[in-house]
Amino acid sequence: MNISLKNVSFSYTDSLYDAVIKDLNLEIRSGECVILAGESGCGKTTISKLINGLIPHYHSGTMSGDVLLGEKNTADMTLAEISRFVGSVFQNPRSQFFNIDTDSEITFGCENLGMPREEILQRVDAVVKEFRLEHLMGRNIFHLSGGEKQKIACASVAATGPEIFVLDEPSANLDLKSVADLAEIVARWKKAGKTVVVVEHRIHYLREIADRICYVKDGHVAYEWTPAQLEAKGAEYAANLGLRCVNLKQLKNKAPELAEGPEGSKDPAKQSLNEILVFYDLHFAYNRKFPVLDIPVLSLPRNQITALIGHNGAGKSTLAQVLCGLCEAWRQKRKVRKYGAYLIMQDVNHQLFTESVLEEVLLGMDPPNEKAALEILAGLNLEQCAYEHPMALSGGQKQRVAIGSGVSSGRDIVVFDEPTSGLDYRQMLAVSATLQKLAASGKTLLVITHDPEFILNCCSNIIRMEHGKIAEQYPLQGNQEKLVQEMTSFNYSS
Amino acid sequence: MFTLDPRTKLFLAVVANSVILSAPIAYSALMFAVPAVLLLFERKWKFVLVFFSVYLTAALGFEHLKTMDVGRVGTLGVSTMMIVSHMMPIGIVLYYVMQTTKVNEFLAAMARMHVPNKLTIPLTVMIRFFPTVFDEARAIGHAMRMRGIRLFSLRTLRNPFSILEYRLVPLLVSITKIGDELSIAAVTRGLSPETKRTCVATIGFHVQDLIVFVYCIFVATCFVIASRAKQSIIDIISALFS
Repeated sequence: MNISLKNVSFSYTDSLYDAVIKDLNLEIRSGECVILAGESGCGKTTISKLINGLIPHYHSGTMSGDVLLGEKNTADMTLAEISRFVGSVFQNPRSQFFNIDTDSEITFGCENLGMPREEILQRVDAVVKEFRLEHLMGRNIFHLSGGEKQKIACASVAATGPEIFVLDEPSANLDLKSVADLAEIVARWKKAGKTVVVVEHRIHYLREIADRICYVKDGHVAYEWTPAQLEAKGAEYAANLGLRCVNLKQLKNKAPELAEGPEGSKDPAKQSLNEILVFYDLHFAYNRKFPVLDIPVLSLPRNQITALIGHNGAGKSTLAQVLCGLCEAWRQKRKVRKYGAYLIMQDVNHQLFTESVLEEVLLGMDPPNEKAALEILAGLNLEQCAYEHPMALSGGQKQRVAIGSGVSSGRDIVVFDEPTSGLDYRQMLAVSATLQKLAASGKTLLVITHDPEFILNCCSNIIRMEHGKIAEQYPLQGNQEKLVQEMTSFNYSS
Repeated sequence: MFTLDPRTKLFLAVVANSVILSAPIAYSALMFAVPAVLLLFERKWKFVLVFFSVYLTAALGFEHLKTMDVGRVGTLGVSTMMIVSHMMPIGIVLYYVMQTTKVNEFLAAMARMHVPNKLTIPLTVMIRFFPTVFDEARAIGHAMRMRGIRLFSLRTLRNPFSILEYRLVPLLVSITKIGDELSIAAVTRGLSPETKRTCVATIGFHVQDLIVFVYCIFVATCFVIASRAKQSIIDIISALFS
């Protein structure tokens, strides 16, 4: 089914004066796989909402122009009708499910369309086989990993058999192995002749599947390439446009140049002075038989950034929680809380409590010292919004406020849980600059991440976890190739 | 598995809660036994043990002390016991219903009872909404522990409302977002009041439903007859205010 957007403008407010989408013309042919890329806030998610009908039927605003699915105008259809043709998968695994168990979720769409019972059961069987979901059936959705959730989301959308699939940053919360699974699903849809529209920063996994990449800027399509054309233009060209690397294999070539930190924190002379922080007996288990975490000794180089890699469910988050004293370790010689690590959560909204940014930083201080707090904020480029409400800030600013609260609490170790998920290239660079500054100011950083580009950019050590144990630990210097190799081949994880 | 039809659960919620709210301890304990036993079938041993013993302590304490003169502080304690013994079972019945009812089954049951979709859909969102909110609340609790904000500390005692603020502000922000995302999830999947949906879930009444029905009706009838004869609820209320 063709999708055509003709002279579309849209604004979330009353007038088209501050439109998010301006005079957009986009033609997507039946059976095509198109990536909508672009920096955050360029309007690419809004385009996906135009296609799945959330605009104009769910979000209010002002719209001009026509969005046609085949011959029909979305403005004349109801959302229920549109959902017959368009299936949507969203970024956030937390709330894109309407059911609590996996079985009901997969049948849900078919039931809503009023299909006969036998047909629904047949379709569910087919989808379960196609996506190899046998082991995930009958499970509680809250107990699945991010990759598993995304798989269920794709399967439940596919069950209704729509002609068009719209995916909004589906890879943002996934590890590279799950991303590869996702790529396989998209490839299968394309092969079946479906039209697939993917909104993404990360292009690498669709490099061989996508027909076109549309670069969205200021609400219209500024450039169009095939993946091969973009790759031929080189990594720097893509980076300048705020795009993540097109081919992960290219990373090892460009790594050394980008690995230069702005603060000179990678200075080898300085590195040799670094001591090592050692932690003993980090064990955790929900019951005696299955240890989730089993680390007798963990050593972190002081004042450096260490990346913690490993596939989903390897125990990375548990290690972070044990280091922060959020889980009691299984058998421990001394109180883990003494380690006093501070965790910057993936969803920073959970850890901002107060009415102003300044108060947020003062909260952890004992006794509160306003001058010192302002100094911390200045170090994070937040001094101009010291009196604003934390919830009114942008995502990146919120993250920096959370970092500020960690700094003010006087902890020496700061743990980050996927600080770059869903960020474009420019934002990722900003985060790595902040982290390097933090390391240079005398903090020891441990970063849980699935983002090889980010690791090459600012980390100096790698720890790889597997089945709750440390599988490997090595410095990044000289091992770039090995890292990329390890992160892009998925044999180790199974 | 000992599963009940969603309609039985709704019946249980209505009858058990009205009896627990209005009846003396003997009846409300008999009623509270129903969700307790049902939760035992769900293997929530610890949960049942803790809450049932808290309930029994509070209820027995209230029954014994309600007519005595216990002074000002004592009255505070007795009224706490009353609130616990009357409100907690209601919470637990609702917890049982929320925990064990699948969205799917609930939709099917409501359709069988010919409840209009306009009423069913918001109720369904509630079933999905609460577990998500508790999940969020747990994450926020983690963040607060890390910041060293505790329920009982010098800082929170100095300013007891701050703890409420720290807990609620992030929760409210995420709740509004979750509500929005859930409705988007529902509408993009074609859930709408106009279209008639099929229900794959098989629901129906079995022996266990019959047992629960008969038991609930029996206890409720006993209570009604007994209270007609003695008018003991009014006694209780007047004792409370004298």
